Amino acid sequence: MAGPTTETVFNIFRSMESGPAAPSSAATAQAWLDHHSRSLGFFIDGKFVHLAERRSLSVLDSKGGQVCGVLCAEEADVSQCAASAVSAFKSWSLLSCYQRAKVLLRLVGVLGLHGQCLSELSQLCAMACSPPSLIRLLQFYSSWAQLRDTLLSGWTPLGVVAVVTSDDSSVYSLMLKVVPALAMGNAVIVVPGRSVAPPALLLAQLFSGAGLPAGVLNVLTGSDVTLGVNVAQNPSICYVTYSGSKPDGLALVQASAGMGVPVSVSPCVGATCPFIIFESADINSAVDEVIEAAFKKKSEVHWVLCVQESVCDNVVDRLKLRLAGLKCVSLQSEADRSLVDTAVQEAQQQGATLIQSCSAPPSGPLYPPTVLCGAAPASPCVVSPAPGPLLPLMTFRCHKEAVAVGNHSPHGLAASIWTEDLTLALETAKNLSVGSVWVNSHSVVDPCLPVCAHKDGGSCTDGGQEGLYQFLRPSVSSLPIRSSAVPLDYSKFGTEESPAVIPDPASSPPSYLQFVGGKACKSVSGCSVAVQSPGGGGGVLGLCPEGGRKDVRNAVEAALKVQPGWQKKTPSARALSLHALVKGVEAKRQDLATSLHTQTGVSMDEAEKEVELSITRLALWAAYCDKVQGGSLPMPKSGSALSFPEALGVVGVVLPDESPLLSMVTLLGAAIASGNAVVMVPSQKHPLPTIAFIQVLQSSDLPAGLVNVVTGRRDQLTVALANHSVIRSIWYWGSAEGCRYLQYTCTRPLKTLRLVSQEGQDEGVDWTQASPSFLEDLWRNAVQWKSVWIPTA
Amino acid sequence: MSSRNPGTAFDLEWVSRVRVNTQAVLKRAQSIQGQKLPKKQWQSAWLLKAVTCIDLTTLSGDDTPSNVHRLCMKAIQPVRHDLLRKMDMHDKGISTAAVCVYPSRVADAVRSLKAANSSIPVASVATGFPAGQTPLESRLQEVRSAVNDGATEIDIVINRMLALTGQWEAMFNEIRLFREACGDAHMKTILAVGELETLSNVYKASMVAMMAGSDFIKTSTGKEAVNATYPVAIVMLRAIRDYFLCTGHKVGFKPAGGIRTAQESLVWLTLIKEELGSEWLHPHLFRLGASSLLADIERQIYHEVTGQYAAHHELPMA
Repeated sequence: MAGPTTETVFNIFRSMESGPAAPSSAATAQAWLDHHSRSLGFFIDGKFVHLAERRSLSVLDSKGGQVCGVLCAEEADVSQCAASAVSAFKSWSLLSCYQRAKVLLRLVGVLGLHGQCLSELSQLCAMACSPPSLIRLLQFYSSWAQLRDTLLSGWTPLGVVAVVTSDDSSVYSLMLKVVPALAMGNAVIVVPGRSVAPPALLLAQLFSGAGLPAGVLNVLTGSDVTLGVNVAQNPSICYVTYSGSKPDGLALVQASAGMGVPVSVSPCVGATCPFIIFESADINSAVDEVIEAAFKKKSEVHWVLCVQESVCDNVVDRLKLRLAGLKCVSLQSEADRSLVDTAVQEAQQQGATLIQSCSAPPSGPLYPPTVLCGAAPASPCVVSPAPGPLLPLMTFRCHKEAVAVGNHSPHGLAASIWTEDLTLALETAKNLSVGSVWVNSHSVVDPCLPVCAHKDGGSCTDGGQEGLYQFLRPSVSSLPIRSSAVPLDYSKFGTEESPAVIPDPASSPPSYLQFVGGKACKSVSGCSVAVQSPGGGGGVLGLCPEGGRKDVRNAVEAALKVQPGWQKKTPSARALSLHALVKGVEAKRQDLATSLHTQTGVSMDEAEKEVELSITRLALWAAYCDKVQGGSLPMPKSGSALSFPEALGVVGVVLPDESPLLSMVTLLGAAIASGNAVVMVPSQKHPLPTIAFIQVLQSSDLPAGLVNVVTGRRDQLTVALANHSVIRSIWYWGSAEGCRYLQYTCTRPLKTLRLVSQEGQDEGVDWTQASPSFLEDLWRNAVQWKSVWIPTA
Repeated sequence: MSSRNPGTAFDLEWVSRVRVNTQAVLKRAQSIQGQKLPKKQWQSAWLLKAVTCIDLTTLSGDDTPSNVHRLCMKAIQPVRHDLLRKMDMHDKGISTAAVCVYPSRVADAVRSLKAANSSIPVASVATGFPAGQTPLESRLQEVRSAVNDGATEIDIVINRMLALTGQWEAMFNEIRLFREACGDAHMKTILAVGELETLSNVYKASMVAMMAGSDFIKTSTGKEAVNATYPVAIVMLRAIRDYFLCTGHKVGFKPAGGIRTAQESLVWLTLIKEELGSEWLHPHLFRLGASSLLADIERQIYHEVTGQYAAHHELPMA
């Protein structure tokens, strides 16, 4: 065959081949790399720091050639970087909103000038990066930087924030965390994955050129996620947030357990998303787009095609025609090829038929786009997708089944649905438990759309206004002081024997009941624990049931039964129920005050004051029911973008010792006002007020099982909550060991955690105050966001 | 030419079940327009392919035998002989696909081409072009007389009144009559998409035209406010594909109106290749209705061959 340059016009005229793609030039990026002698240092305090003695790693391009070297940061670099960030935070956070916004806007100009270099460099490192999307990101968050004090009054930046990403995370998802962090006034230490390191370093340099003060944005490079752990360990870091592949994220969460720094993860790479085609869809467009989604783009997610049975043949016919024109896709490695081969063989053995553009070449890291028809939710290619151009196709019968099939996966990142029927589209969007729904489109990202994976999809909301709050705290709360890591044997936590309650005929303390599934009851084990009187005098105030694993299981089961119905109720119906609860508290105010007095030893006056505050607090939450809402988002494209706050599901709460009644109603109200069910574990030290509250719950009209109170020993119950997969979130006030245990354990599935160690110093929450940001922080913790994008012409 | 589309019985089901999502079609059009176009000899080859697919057209009130004659001569030798020779394409029968004129000029065109010993077909517009608002009998008569004068391809226009009021079966019957009047002449059905309001209507009209036995479906007359646009073309091409899936018959596609630059012609070829495959990139399944396009293509080829940009007078006029 003639070589490409000697191909004659006549031959091309007959074959109508498109010819070789013009090689993309990377001259600017190469020149930048050459300027840095092809070895990039760290970016600390506004300049490159290159230390010859550090170990060097090579960054490879898509063909395995070396692009440049990056250094491996060590302990000393981390502390130098942290110190610089701490001092930079002081000056950066003291600037006015206008000044911070101006820096971000100036960067827009800088990116316009050097976007070419950035995209070339990203391409060299086999990363996708589009400068226009970064420019949009900067513009969106620069206006939030400008408006922080106007629209987010009562909120304060955290301090020094670490943003960690894995190797396969994109430049955009890195910047989706960095830019809002900066916009809110934080200093940032970026720990990028290896391939994203060169673009991250270039961006840091460009930021610096745009006038970002030295030290506000630093980049440390290293071999893997352990560097992220080292950074998290540094005591000046206030928050660690991660984006990228799930295994690395979980490793980071587990390794940094016990360091006392909150860690959130957005495992956006590698999730499985349904692509649902209804019979009422524009089938031709849907087929074009599914091919684009599954085979053409460098996709961070795996798609599963779900087609309504009645149009399956139509879809398959068109897929066959459209696939015919596609070329083989290059895989990352030979190893991936064997994984793909195995997956295809497995699927074929289970009766799947293949649609391929051509048969697979006998070997090598190339594979043709392949649709596996006849897959099912149980198929291995759906459960654990192979890293190649494979698209499983399943069928469903009706709308309900589409939702069931779409939801029946641990992933909850996104879904694409295709129908021309507006009602069907909105109903499906509502019922799918995913964070992003794209109607008649797919993979649409914009900084105004919050990205918040549901289910096992992560513990973090990025993007939009919602994505700002991870980098803020209510000004009224004080920054928790980080304690040094406590040693803990995870297998032993919460397993110690309880001290036996010795029957003492001389005193017969009252025995109390817990509240599970709407019934006051004993624990499953039948055992009890003693409630100590205040002051530690050894007196026993009473016996409460010693709940355990099975009590928590029963409570969760009861909660799961009623929570969907509670969430579906109209906000005003929920408000009515909460108002009824307020009335119940008013009726029992004397009992509650007495229990507070007995339990904590405060005067009756003080106790009555706390009851009074609790009544207003609950009334406040009743009023919030229909004020927690989403809205339409300002997409820069034609269509409607909507965001909805949705309940998490079942929330586990281990209650604080402080202000036991007020703190309990505050947390309870936040959870149920936004549609959740709760399993509460009363403070082990001060359980009586919560136990007294059970009689209020009994007489309320809340659905039985929505609120459960399981009493007993805190550690034992913490373990029980941690090991129940239905519980989506745990709010924990307790020991440092407990915090460490929860962060380490709650990874499969990932739970959203709010951990407060209340040992030693004051935990820093003043429950009596009710500032808007304090309450907003609570309800934002109780919801997850869903964005729905409906494009129009 | 391959076998013609015999058409099918009228089936309302095919028309009524269609759903077109406009924004998705627009997005697809954008992505096609964003694709990299062929370069170097690939570009030359593609441009020559475009030339062989052109229906070189003159449809003006002031057409006379002399400018029709010039047009025919240009159709026979659309690109300067020395340029073709440089690419070794001078003996590969490069001519335009057809010349396209008003019914009254068919005889002139046939005479000119015969005198030049050329077998290039003469196409004629008919059926009350461009509006189609004349009585059915006179529209049929127009077709017959054009065929009698020697036209072997007839570009008919549909009755937009029937399309806009949803009288698809009536439209089907009319087109059937035109097809009978055409006899052996190939029939291209002009949908006048600029006046069909919605993409769904475009799809439906395409389907009805094909069911009634059109050999080609054509976007526009060139006289409407909106002519051949890529989104409309995508919908028509999908209809062609769907018809092919249902019946196994291949129907051709002809965008017309407003196509003026070599660049645009390359995008059109890319679009056809993407949507229907290379098989459709032949004059018997793809035509470009154009008048000034050829001059621009020739200029591009001149540049590719010589490295220079041509002055207008260096290339023969049509």
